[in-house]
Amino acid sequence: MRKSMLFVTLLLSLIIVLAGCTAAPAGQQPAAEQPAGEEAAAAGEPVTIDWWTVNSEEYSEEVQKAMVAEFEASHPNIKVNMTVLPESGFSDKMTTALGAGQGAPDVAFFWDNNWFPEALDLTPYIEADPNFDPSMYFEGFWNTRAVWQDKVVGLPLGVGAQFVMYNKDVFDEAGVAYPGADWTTEDFITMSTQLMDPDVKRWGGDRPRRPFRAIWFNYGAHPYSDDSMTVDGYLNGPESVAAYTWLWDLVQSGSTPTPADIEVLGTEGTGPVDLFLAGRLAMATLNQGHMLNAVKAGANFGVVPEPQVEGHERYVNAWSLTSSIWKGTEHPDEAWTFLSWWVGPEGQKFLMENGNLFPSIPSVLEQYKDADQEYAQAFFDVLKLKQVSEWRIAHPCDGAVARAAGDVWDKIMLGDIERDQIQSELDAVVPAAQEALDECRDRLGG
Amino acid sequence: MFSTWREMSPRTRREAMEGYISIAPWLIGFLLFTLIPVLASVYYSFTQWSVTRPAEWIGFDNYTRMFTRDPLFWQALKVTFYYVLLSLPLKIIFGLGLALLLNLKIRGMNFYRTIFYIPAVISGVAVSLMWMWLLHPDTGVINALLAQIGIQGPAWFWDPQWALPSVALMNVWAVGGSAVIYLAGLQNIPPHLYEAAKIDGANMWRRFWRITLPLLTPILFFLLIVEMIDSFKVFTQAFVITKGGPLKATYFYLYYFYEEAFQNFNMGYASALAIILMLIILAATVVMNYLSKHWVYYESEQEKS
Repeated sequence: MRKSMLFVTLLLSLIIVLAGCTAAPAGQQPAAEQPAGEEAAAAGEPVTIDWWTVNSEEYSEEVQKAMVAEFEASHPNIKVNMTVLPESGFSDKMTTALGAGQGAPDVAFFWDNNWFPEALDLTPYIEADPNFDPSMYFEGFWNTRAVWQDKVVGLPLGVGAQFVMYNKDVFDEAGVAYPGADWTTEDFITMSTQLMDPDVKRWGGDRPRRPFRAIWFNYGAHPYSDDSMTVDGYLNGPESVAAYTWLWDLVQSGSTPTPADIEVLGTEGTGPVDLFLAGRLAMATLNQGHMLNAVKAGANFGVVPEPQVEGHERYVNAWSLTSSIWKGTEHPDEAWTFLSWWVGPEGQKFLMENGNLFPSIPSVLEQYKDADQEYAQAFFDVLKLKQVSEWRIAHPCDGAVARAAGDVWDKIMLGDIERDQIQSELDAVVPAAQEALDECRDRLGG
Repeated sequence: MFSTWREMSPRTRREAMEGYISIAPWLIGFLLFTLIPVLASVYYSFTQWSVTRPAEWIGFDNYTRMFTRDPLFWQALKVTFYYVLLSLPLKIIFGLGLALLLNLKIRGMNFYRTIFYIPAVISGVAVSLMWMWLLHPDTGVINALLAQIGIQGPAWFWDPQWALPSVALMNVWAVGGSAVIYLAGLQNIPPHLYEAAKIDGANMWRRFWRITLPLLTPILFFLLIVEMIDSFKVFTQAFVITKGGPLKATYFYLYYFYEEAFQNFNMGYASALAIILMLIILAATVVMNYLSKHWVYYESEQEKS
């Protein structure tokens, strides 16, 4: 009998363990555990908030630890429990925790738009905080990384952008004038051809890695209509055909590295910075991290925005990291205090001065140590352009449509189609792209 | 045949209890990390679920979309079947060939065995990056060697015709793992069979065909199943090297699954994809198992009969 009881006890323990692993219904748990947090606060003990972050070139673990120490020194009632996760595993862990409705941190990067429904709406906190003014941020980054469906789901930490870096030594050697900020896509191909030199294994300029980024938008091209209903006339419209034709001309010029060259000789996942620094690529589309590497390496370079197309608005591929409070937090007030300090002027200034962050607050960015340098000013000017993200965030199905239309891109890269076939090739992928758009729109609730 | 708990003697109960406790770690692991996730996948395959929003029951919609309105599903299935048909014979034949070589009685054989086994323990990502360098159309070692003998090598991963064979080829490099299993089988073959065959005048080819191969068929069958499952699950090479291209030539099933699940957060549809793959592998395994009675030779069964 006793042994039977032991077996039953074991079985019940297993069931309890399993039950413990299942998610509590969303919204119930914070309310149920709220008193614990209040008790701690009432007892005068510091409230501990969990913060998940990553280690990056812009802010190392040590720098972030020092930042937390500075925050805690000025806020003795809040203790920040910092967890540094590997960047590659951060998304999986966040998605799992948010999906389960438990175990998510009070404060974290919400860099995936799919997580925004799980972020706390910060509007009441912003309205109640007289020291917090949203207009201190770059408007473009506030619009793309803080506001979602008329709610403020986070604050934008830091800024990043793509631009063209050109090697002045190579330009001088080839006798080619430096590009100006007003250069065009045609100028890009002309310069790329003039700068390439097969004898020294040097390419002129790199090629875009995928369509419907800044240059496509500079041509006025969109993969589908603004109301997310129609592909025909957009993906295969005259603006899109012009952008693909520009790519075709660039590839056929022979002055740009092949996809194999970029994949193998470029730097994994980030662009051909090594080729650029080695002088084997005269113009490269890179970002602010690469720019700092070039400064450190003593490279003689300049910065210009991606080339424009006359008669169209100019765009930039730019980004910032949305930093948010989980809506299931037990300590929303303390989380807001930390978030608004970390992503506010004080925290971003600390990360700029002690790390490599470029703040998303212009008044802080102006205090950058090399702000008077030509390259820094050119970078700051790029940040003022209209962002591709503004369209992409409002149109989350662009990835699905681009995937359905991917064959045209590959065929141009492989030299499989002639220039005058671009229109018919784009026409041919419209039905599949429309199907992908319809499916995605339905899935996301219209 | 089976007695109930009440009917058991105290000793039998104690032994049963010890048995349950012994298998409990595996059982708990199996329940938590295999059975429950599989059952959850079956459920979610009938829903539309983006992880952060509640799952919505949509019946068979994911499956009807898959079979009637999704060209990417058919492309991924076609590419994966082609890959299985191409890579499976290569892995089986080269694995066996390598094992036969490693079974020779020459000096330093342990060193060679270690060398050939090393690729099997290197991470797939590292191997993929290495092969990207080796097979680069202009600067890769392979094309440089081919150029030495007057052959202009292809663009390998960057050519739609060659991309899939390139992935299959690079997997042959890691046959050391299966060679070790073959080797264990080879060394289990009683030497007296070869001696008797030699006395009867059988040459090396006949000894291989009449003795080695029949006695290796259980191993061959095991590896066929394992390698087949492994081939259906090909992913890393597409993820690291080709991103499914060019022209979707390496758009493997699991790569498509990955895109749907972890890039589009379309977990319901991804669950349905996973279920279909599981059924395909299950069906292929059942067919192979059925056919095995015609060609797999089990010595123990022969002795019994």
